[in-house]
Amino acid sequence: MDHLFYIATLMSVWIIFSLGANLVIGYTGLMAMGQAAYLGVGAYTAAVLNIFFHVPFPIAALAAMAVSALVAVATLLPLQRLEGFYFALGTLGLNFLFFDLFHNLAPRVEGSEGLYGLELPAFATGARNLFLSVLAVTIVSALACWRLDASPYGRALRATRDRPDALRSIGKEPRMFQISVWAVGGALAGLAGALYGATLFYIDPTLFTLNTSIAILVFIGVGGLASLAGSVLGPVLLIGFTEGLRYVGLPSTLTGPLQSGLYGLLLIVLMLFRRQGLVGKHDFRE
Amino acid sequence: MTSANSQLRAEGLSMRFGGVRVFEDISFTVDLGGITACIGPNGAGKSTLVNVVCGVYIPVGGQTFLNGEMITGTSTVEIVRRGICRTFQDVRIFPTLTAIENVLAGIPRQRGEGVLSAFTNFGPSERSNRNAAMSLLDDLALSGVASRPAGELPFGQQKLIALARAAATGARFVLLDEPAAGVELSLLPNIAKLVRRLTRTEGRGVLLIEHNVDFVRELADQVFVLQGGGVLASGSVQQVLNDERVIKEYLGRVYDA
Amino acid sequence: MIQTLIIGLGLAGYYALVAVGFALIFATLRIFHVAHGTVFITAGYVFWYMHRIHGISLAISATAAIAAAAALGLAIDRFLYLPIMRRGGGMFSVFIASLGIVLVFDAIYLVLTSGVIAVARTTSMELWTVGGAAIRKFDLGIMGLVALTYFLLYLWLHRTRTGLEVRGLTDNEQLAAAVGMNVDQTRNAIFLVASAMAGLAGVLTAYDGGITSDSGNRTLFIAVVAVILGGVRNILLGSITGSLALGIITAYAGFFYPEWVTFCIFAIMIILILFRPKGLFG
Ligand SMILES: Nc1ncnc2c1ncn2[C@@H]1O[C@H](COP(=O)(O)OP(=O)(O)OP(=O)(O)O)[C@@H](O)[C@H]1O
Ligand SMILES: [Mg+2]
Repeated sequence: MDHLFYIATLMSVWIIFSLGANLVIGYTGLMAMGQAAYLGVGAYTAAVLNIFFHVPFPIAALAAMAVSALVAVATLLPLQRLEGFYFALGTLGLNFLFFDLFHNLAPRVEGSEGLYGLELPAFATGARNLFLSVLAVTIVSALACWRLDASPYGRALRATRDRPDALRSIGKEPRMFQISVWAVGGALAGLAGALYGATLFYIDPTLFTLNTSIAILVFIGVGGLASLAGSVLGPVLLIGFTEGLRYVGLPSTLTGPLQSGLYGLLLIVLMLFRRQGLVGKHDFRE
Repeated sequence: MTSANSQLRAEGLSMRFGGVRVFEDISFTVDLGGITACIGPNGAGKSTLVNVVCGVYIPVGGQTFLNGEMITGTSTVEIVRRGICRTFQDVRIFPTLTAIENVLAGIPRQRGEGVLSAFTNFGPSERSNRNAAMSLLDDLALSGVASRPAGELPFGQQKLIALARAAATGARFVLLDEPAAGVELSLLPNIAKLVRRLTRTEGRGVLLIEHNVDFVRELADQVFVLQGGGVLASGSVQQVLNDERVIKEYLGRVYDA
Repeated sequence: MIQTLIIGLGLAGYYALVAVGFALIFATLRIFHVAHGTVFITAGYVFWYMHRIHGISLAISATAAIAAAAALGLAIDRFLYLPIMRRGGGMFSVFIASLGIVLVFDAIYLVLTSGVIAVARTTSMELWTVGGAAIRKFDLGIMGLVALTYFLLYLWLHRTRTGLEVRGLTDNEQLAAAVGMNVDQTRNAIFLVASAMAGLAGVLTAYDGGITSDSGNRTLFIAVVAVILGGVRNILLGSITGSLALGIITAYAGFFYPEWVTFCIFAIMIILILFRPKGLFG
């Protein structure tokens, strides 16, 4: 039972991450390929504050959101000079950059590669309580994204994706929308990162690599771009599937490659046969 | 008489791409409440002129003044904010937005258009914006397709949507780059109606770039003819469209074609 | 010092062979072919498998490996990119599919090789000592081979009909878009040539330091940065200068601060694009 709670918690965390990534990639059409970096910033911020400075976890998670959003904007500003594939590649480079930073600079618990020992509040201790707490945060995040989607802001994001030049021609600067949505995506990634640490009890730099950034692309690609339902559906189906693999007793040396191979295959099949994903509104931007 | 304070005025604009001259020393004015038309053969530089006025390109010579203030060198976004909006010859609507969302997107300073303000109560302002957008679409006989994705509509209707979107910005001057080109004849009266509403009712100024001479004759107050990199003739519609050189050089060809 | 420089030039050679093909495909067809790294590593594994595991002669193994790379590159285009484009997919869809190929092959190779470093070499490297610096003859060999390849490529691009058509594509976006939709000989030639060069780099890498299932991605990342540095206006000049810069930088960074190599590459890219968003020759 605890294991089922664990899987459900993991799904919830990834839903939060997907919600943010979908705002950035699906709605606004920014080819963000380094979202894992912001996930890592959030995870490390929350863990360091909680473990070394004994900041209560909920506050540490909020701080993680803020720090991730700031880091996200700070990294976006230089990258905004790039267009198209160059932009995608620049964001992809963030994975390597932040991996090196985490790997070389981030504190570790003696004798390990990463951090553990989070002190969670009583209401989030235990598999069931943790799940319920994370679920509550996920619901709030989804409602917030739903509100953004339904607002004039959401409309402006979609306009930014469709035709930035036309948006400029009616007096609105697409860059401003890109920056603000990037901050929102960063904040949600930071929140997801903090909760990811709480779910796994342990974080290290290998959790926040290109593979993770690609996984999020697969999740929203399969679920559906520019769709809230897609942000939920993708993680639920795919995490359900890969955790299922573990369940049927596949050796752990195979689950890793099998999972990434499956993700690759899904990307290929999607691009060939259903570019908008299961319930998405449109395909990846030209 | 309109004063320089309520005018869009271009003085001696020259533009060049690399070494290739597009036009030289072009001057014109658009008055509030008036329609200035610009005609000229393909490749004369009409679209380039709009781009120069709107800050997409920096001219190699000359300036544009809005209400007496120089705007040359200012960014496109800033120019729109100051009150000049344009449409594109090759319609650039937002294809995944519905027709009415396209128009709504044009409305400036909307409540709820920022991350934080999206969580305030934007409902009332959104409703009144929606009504304003709907009335623009109504004038263009597009209310029937208001909630269809704009990208799925025929080219002519997309063109009208772009027109309504530019109007929705509230800009005092609207530059229309061939609004009638590629639009079915049956829709032309709708365009004319909207252009009249903008000028006669709302007192805005319009620069109308157009190939359709009948359309120009019907709407414009002043005309200038762009040809061979310069202004071939300019003045009132009557004068210019009856000018011998214009008939010989330009209109003759249009009628032949 | 000089030793490190030579190592850097050797590295530059690998990068250049991968970068030039990537630049060729990107400049002509606008395809961001990340699976180019897969093509590279496939050649490495084929070569390792034939030469090291089965003891097949160096020449035959290398030729077969390069042929395999060329065939794979062509197949990816014909059976994946083209169908996607025909169904209305944009360049980002093609890019995502390309990423899919990378993931699938990475997984296959990881399972097949259990993650060992595949070193195809059967003898040790010969060294030359010049003025106290030990220089590997192999590095000099790479430089020569790269120079020869670039020379042949130059001849191909400037002296043959197909080459002329290829160059025509780089200057003409509309034409490139049109060709993007068609199978034709030019398009096939671009993929064959680019993939064969990546194959050569894969063979050399497998022979030299060996490869693991993630070498392809790493090399491709560096090659792409090299292309960004050099720009795609001039395929040959851009890719070679970018690669030289990165080869030397990675060699020195690897010597002094091995932990920070990727960081350096990325930092350089960011700094450069801040000043020259279109590359040095863009
Ligand atoms: N960005 C550019 N770079 C180089 N040349 C350009 C550019 N834009 C336009 N031109 C050239 O400038 C000239 C004027 O073009 P423009 O589009 O302004 O003509 P136009 O009068 O609007 O024609 P049409 O009636 O076909 O719309 C053309 O010769 C065109 O090729
Ligand atoms: Mg034009």
